[in-house]
Amino acid sequence: MKQQNKFSAAQHQEQAAQSQAAGSGSGGLEFQNAEELLRHDAAQTVVPPQIAQRLGQSVAQSPPPRRPWWRRLLG
Amino acid sequence: MNQACAPSQLAETAETRLLPAELGALYCAHSRAIYYLALRFLGDPQKAEDATHDVFLKALRHLDQFRGEAAARTWLYRIAINHCKNMRQAWHERHVLLGSESDFCEQAAGGESPLRVLETKELGARIQKALDGLGAEYRLLLLLVSDQELSYEQVGALTGQSADAVRGKLFRARKAFATLFAKTE
Repeated sequence: MKQQNKFSAAQHQEQAAQSQAAGSGSGGLEFQNAEELLRHDAAQTVVPPQIAQRLGQSVAQSPPPRRPWWRRLLG
Repeated sequence: MNQACAPSQLAETAETRLLPAELGALYCAHSRAIYYLALRFLGDPQKAEDATHDVFLKALRHLDQFRGEAAARTWLYRIAINHCKNMRQAWHERHVLLGSESDFCEQAAGGESPLRVLETKELGARIQKALDGLGAEYRLLLLLVSDQELSYEQVGALTGQSADAVRGKLFRARKAFATLFAKTE
């Protein structure tokens, strides 16, 4: 199962730091595979703040959402 | 009152504090993952922004359908994948493209060697170029597998295949990506 094979977040950060440290000596970064590179890329990606702003505006103009059935049941 | 974001999540901002509590919590926890998937799957920041907005709005409207059986991230990914595929399909229909999408598969000669990056400035553009060279299936697979919160079983469920099939295709997708990435230097 993938989750068993996967690193924990802490392990990944540690490994990423080691990779970066190892890479920085030769003036770059080194990634073991595509996923590691994509994780690094994702961590560097900033979510544009205007999305939340637009979302807030859209929600304000929308009718209130229906509550999940289990919430309605539990009150 | 909105729930505060945990340190590992997206930082709570003035914008997220304006969202309803349930949506604000979902947004803080998963917006980076959803935005990144949309960004790299669609290859366009503006479309990714639109897609992320639409995905969370859909999620809010269909909260009653989320029964907690699946992880929230898996549920959001399912909405995002359908939405992004629809966006791509609509775009392709508007822009008549001759020939099929460049599906870079087994002909990739790359191996399992590490991916070395000397210049990080253009890294995002290089990654995008390499992903664009892959077929949509491999691109989606790599993006989902790179999320450490998803198991192979969950990736399989999201892409309609078994975990073993995911493992098999992942091997080929990695090789293809490595070859394409090397060509972007």
